[in-house]
Amino acid sequence: MAEKKLTAIEGIKVASDGLRGTIKESLLDEITGAIREDDKALIKFHGMYEQDDRDRREERAAKKLDRLYSFMIRLRLPGGLISAEKWIACNNIANENSTGVIKITTRETIQLHGLYKSKIKPTIQAFNTAHLDSIATCGDVNRNVTCASNPALSTVHEEVFAYADKISNLLMPKTKAYYQIWVDNEMLIDKKEEEDPLYQKHYLPRKFKIGIAIPPNNDSDVFINDIGLVAIVEKDKLIGFNIAIGGGLSATHGNAETYARLATVIGFTDTEEKTLRTIYEILTVQRDFGNRTDRKLARLKYTVDKLGVDKFKEEVEARIGFKLAPAKPFEFTERKDIYGWKKSNKGLWYYTVFVENGRVLDDEQVALKTALLEVAKLNKCNFMFTATQNIIISDVADKNKAAIEEVLRKFKIIEHTEGASLLRKNAIACVALPTCPLALAEAQRYMPEMISKMEPLLEKHKIADQELIVRMTGCPNGCGRSAASEIGFIGTHPGRYNLHIGGDNEGLRLNTKYKESLNEAELLAEMDSLFGLYNKERNKGETFGDFTIRKQLVK
Amino acid sequence: MLSEPKLKVLQDLIAGSSKEELLWINGYFNGVVANHQPSANGTAQASAVVTNKITIVYGTETGNSKALATQFAAKAKKSGINAKVFGSDQYRLTDLVKEEYFLVLMSTHGDGEAPDAAKKFYDHIVAGGFTLEKMKYSVLALGDTSYPLFCNVGENIDIEFDKMGAKRLVPIQKCDVEYEADATQWFDKVIQSLTQKTASAPTAAPVANGHAAPVSAKKVGKLAFTGNVLTNIDLNDRGSNKETYHIEIAAEGLEYQCGDSIGIVPENDSQLVTDIIAKTNIDGNKSLEYKKEKFTIYELLKRKINLIYLTERLVKQYADVTGHEIPVGRYDLLELVQKYPVKVPSQFEEILVGLNAISPRLYTLASSPKAHEGEVHIIVAKDVYTDSNGQQRKGLCSNYLSGLKVNGKQNFFIQPNKRFRLPADDKDIIMVGPGTGIAAFRSFLAERDATGATGRSWLFFGEQHFASDFLYQTEMQNWNETGVLTKINVAFSRDQKEKIYVQHRMLEHGESLYEWITGGASFYICGKKDPMSVDVENALLHIIEQYGKKTIEEAKKYLEQMKEEGRYEKDVY
Ligand code: SRM
Ligand SMILES: Cc1cc2nc3c(=O)[nH]c(=O)nc-3n(C[C@H](O)[C@H](O)[C@H](O)COP(=O)(O)OP(=O)(O)OC[C@H]3O[C@@H](n4cnc5c(N)ncnc54)[C@H](O)[C@@H]3O)c2cc1C
Ligand SMILES: Cc1cc2nc3c(=O)[nH]c(=O)nc-3n(C[C@H](O)[C@H](O)[C@H](O)COP(=O)(O)O)c2cc1C
Ligand code: SF4
Repeated sequence: MAEKKLTAIEGIKVASDGLRGTIKESLLDEITGAIREDDKALIKFHGMYEQDDRDRREERAAKKLDRLYSFMIRLRLPGGLISAEKWIACNNIANENSTGVIKITTRETIQLHGLYKSKIKPTIQAFNTAHLDSIATCGDVNRNVTCASNPALSTVHEEVFAYADKISNLLMPKTKAYYQIWVDNEMLIDKKEEEDPLYQKHYLPRKFKIGIAIPPNNDSDVFINDIGLVAIVEKDKLIGFNIAIGGGLSATHGNAETYARLATVIGFTDTEEKTLRTIYEILTVQRDFGNRTDRKLARLKYTVDKLGVDKFKEEVEARIGFKLAPAKPFEFTERKDIYGWKKSNKGLWYYTVFVENGRVLDDEQVALKTALLEVAKLNKCNFMFTATQNIIISDVADKNKAAIEEVLRKFKIIEHTEGASLLRKNAIACVALPTCPLALAEAQRYMPEMISKMEPLLEKHKIADQELIVRMTGCPNGCGRSAASEIGFIGTHPGRYNLHIGGDNEGLRLNTKYKESLNEAELLAEMDSLFGLYNKERNKGETFGDFTIRKQLVK
Repeated sequence: MLSEPKLKVLQDLIAGSSKEELLWINGYFNGVVANHQPSANGTAQASAVVTNKITIVYGTETGNSKALATQFAAKAKKSGINAKVFGSDQYRLTDLVKEEYFLVLMSTHGDGEAPDAAKKFYDHIVAGGFTLEKMKYSVLALGDTSYPLFCNVGENIDIEFDKMGAKRLVPIQKCDVEYEADATQWFDKVIQSLTQKTASAPTAAPVANGHAAPVSAKKVGKLAFTGNVLTNIDLNDRGSNKETYHIEIAAEGLEYQCGDSIGIVPENDSQLVTDIIAKTNIDGNKSLEYKKEKFTIYELLKRKINLIYLTERLVKQYADVTGHEIPVGRYDLLELVQKYPVKVPSQFEEILVGLNAISPRLYTLASSPKAHEGEVHIIVAKDVYTDSNGQQRKGLCSNYLSGLKVNGKQNFFIQPNKRFRLPADDKDIIMVGPGTGIAAFRSFLAERDATGATGRSWLFFGEQHFASDFLYQTEMQNWNETGVLTKINVAFSRDQKEKIYVQHRMLEHGESLYEWITGGASFYICGKKDPMSVDVENALLHIIEQYGKKTIEEAKKYLEQMKEEGRYEKDVY
């Protein structure tokens, strides 16, 4: 195959002098809210995306105003844990510098939107004083490491959870550009310290994601990651991890070469040392074999399929210097957040709060943002963010439970959480419009309404008690993991979605396209008949996903 | 009437002349008479002694008076008179008492105020406290009859000089916008009174064709147009505290230059008019003469007369006519007719004819004749204020313009500003235009874009918020890209805790600004007079002082020098 040209971004990375580029100059440019083209690619590595309010483009153009550029910033929170003080800091920074809405993401961290260029430095500096950073939460590096969320569900949670942090630190880029540009311009850098044996000068060909799950709950959707770690527990002891590679959900409409893929388990490691080494070298193989000429085919999943799983595994074993043990058996029986109070074996309490689509704000229904701030001010808990975009009020001692519960009651958070239907509580929607430049249709702004229209159908067909997993994304990139749901709405055009069915409930089988580009009425009609069928012809205990496969509604 | 000898000469002349010659002579005498009343009425001029030295002082805002002053000085030379010309801000006030032959060319601005550069001069005279025995003088007052206080400043100077014992060479001449004819005539009279020579052939020459002599005047007055509104958009984005409208109007035969303004006479609110008519039971269809023109009373109220915020003088008039006790102050007409009713409609008519005409509102042109052929563009800030009753009110004209409908008709006239002009294409320009002040510079940049001027350009713009108030942002970005706009610095006062304005940005870039200036750049300010233009001027002085290593006095001199070279110009309001 003839040498194809490297993508533009490859050149930008190499020439960037440790991800610095001309970011400083871009910030000084007074007459635009945007930054220079190349710098747009570079700030991602610092955890930010340039965006503009797509709702406002036309109107502003008529007013001879440039697009309303602003920036989205994403924090690095391995496993999604944050202290009460840090939550308060985020709350205040959001009010000061962003839209004020705190967005919990599907990778267990938070995003702030709508920061004007002039607000970026103040924001990052404020985060820095709160001991928070956004390093490597975007860009062609390892992203925020996700982990099974609820400590009350497993005796080994604390031990497993610690891996999220270790992995995150192991795979951090070495450049100090982040601190030099955003925090302290004057700091002197010893370039030797910046030499990066892992990422070198060209980093990875593409983003890289790692997640950890503890069976039987697959709440972190472990197999959608480039590397998925399945904790293997025997007699309440963590004995190691099954390692799976090559997950990724994105496909591009009309590009047959792209596809969603769940990670393939390639073996087992029993020690921390081995586990971390293996992870590290999987990245180096991807670094050296990954596609750098076409970003659409650059994710690990394509490298794995290009080399073949076995060949890829050999390459990794050659680099780690030992053979991976055969994978251990494991079973996932569910994939969801467990709402309400739960007690861990260490005697600490955990309350999972329902946050629709991860958007923390005060609205007509509930003053969630204020409530959480009040809870944080008690300073008697931590906060954890789940992969289903919810919040767990964590590590609450017996003696403090009442105080926290009082605040939750006062602000009707408990009603709000218990009151929401199963369907709503298991649903996910991505951000999409107006900020996401890739959105083809609405998602988080529309999903709540869609759910409200589905609920009567579930009632009608007496299946409202099912743990049905419905997910919506504004495009096939699958940020809301729509490809890994029992019912997936995947945006094609404004107001139109592909309807996907056939995914299982536990996250071990992807769904497939059932109907193309339907509007709301058509979607509801399709679901009405599907639910009717399911209600009449399902086997005892059969999930909707499995039912649609048995009935061969999709291949 | 003629003495014998004179009659004889005349009869011989007639006898020996052809018909054509007679016609010429006839015309010649007309000319002589027209230009020579003084000696025609026999009595010698006040104390006209021949002199070869006169002083001309002009006070100008938009350059007309200055143009005349220099033109007249040249003319004086031809008649062997040496004229020293001063701008009123250059003139040493202490010299006034020493003056012998003194001419003042002075326009009126604001509502009856002296041009900015003439304020000191004018105040000094009004303050008085000295005498002018030696002085023989005359005043040429420039003005515009559409303003209530027509030629107010010239008039007052004429009166004050008289009080101080100065003698009039010739009476004051008040000029309307078509000023050139009257001005030339006035100056001819001045010359004659100074030289006792009869009208020289050149002045009479035009009558050679036998017709009475109309003094040809270049058309410089109000060019009136009726245009078609093409666009009207609020440039401020949602969430802004401001409303600033970009308005484009197309019209036939437009003639203007960058730096000019257009004038618009707003109409009164129809509701207000009907309220006043109702309250006074006056007949709206009855026709009434106002300033020598006939209108129906409705027309008058709707289109001609200012009904808002009447001056104390007019309020007093109202009180006198109606016999009411009215506390001193400014009121709206409606307020007056409500609180202090008129007895009978006829009484109200008497009041009406005494009221002021609606004065034109000016808007600096934001367009360039070369770039926007056949169109004028303006940018209008909706004016919102609180009146004495603490009520929120909208400015009459800006509010009216904000609601201008596309495809509607709009009348306007061109108000030239001879002083506010682009320099030669290869010269650098520095433009400070926050808020609506951007208008003049959008015009300048569009023009330089169209002509491919080579001089560099540097803009300072300011407003409240970057996101919502960056007027013409995309156009400025494009001009910056293509190099038409070499440099641009912006100040958004409310995007951070401390307030930042254009003058702060100037100071930040002081060194390079000073380089531009010493390199020959012209410096322009457009926008609000207070406090903006004052703060900007102080910043400029500070920069000249600091980077020119000058004392503040030297800095001021330097700025004066720039003014004289026409390198420091303001269009402020
Ligand atoms: C915030 C979040 C969705 C949410 O509602 O929670 C999100 C939001 C965006 N994702 Fe995502 N992705 C988010 C999880 C995901 C996931 C799900 C996951 O990782 O669990 C996926 C599918 C899994 C995968 O990676 O295959 C995902 C696959 C993508 C892709 C497709 C990548 C690919 O392989 O082609 C893009 C587009 C790209 O990278 O070119 C993308 C790009 C984007 C961008 C940054 C759009 C862009 O590139 O300019 C979106 C920003 C929208 C906004 O205004 O905030 N996002 N994105 C999630 C943030 C996770 C985090 O904290 O890091
Ligand atoms: C040379 C020049 C250029 C100009 N260029 C521009 C330009 O480019 N863009 C622009 O927007 N403007 C410009 N202006 C200003 C413009 O001409 C008008 O002055 C402005 O639009 C306000 O006029 P208005 O009729 O809306 O307000 P008016 O009704 O005339 O009111 C103006 C002010 O008078 C006072 N006032 C009026 N009535 C009352 C009352 N009843 N009680 C108390 N106070 C009262 C208030 O302070 C009010 O703000 C320029 C002015 C000049 C002289
Ligand atoms: C803003 C403005 C206000 C004016 N106000 C008056 C006025 O109150 N009375 C008047 O007689 N003329 C007024 N005029 C008309 C000017 O005096 C007239 O245009 C004159 O020719 C200007 O001469 P200059 O260029 O020497 O300043 C005004 C003109 C402008 C631009
Ligand atoms: S799935 Fe598409 S639309 Fe939704 S956030 Fe991701 S990129 Fe944007």
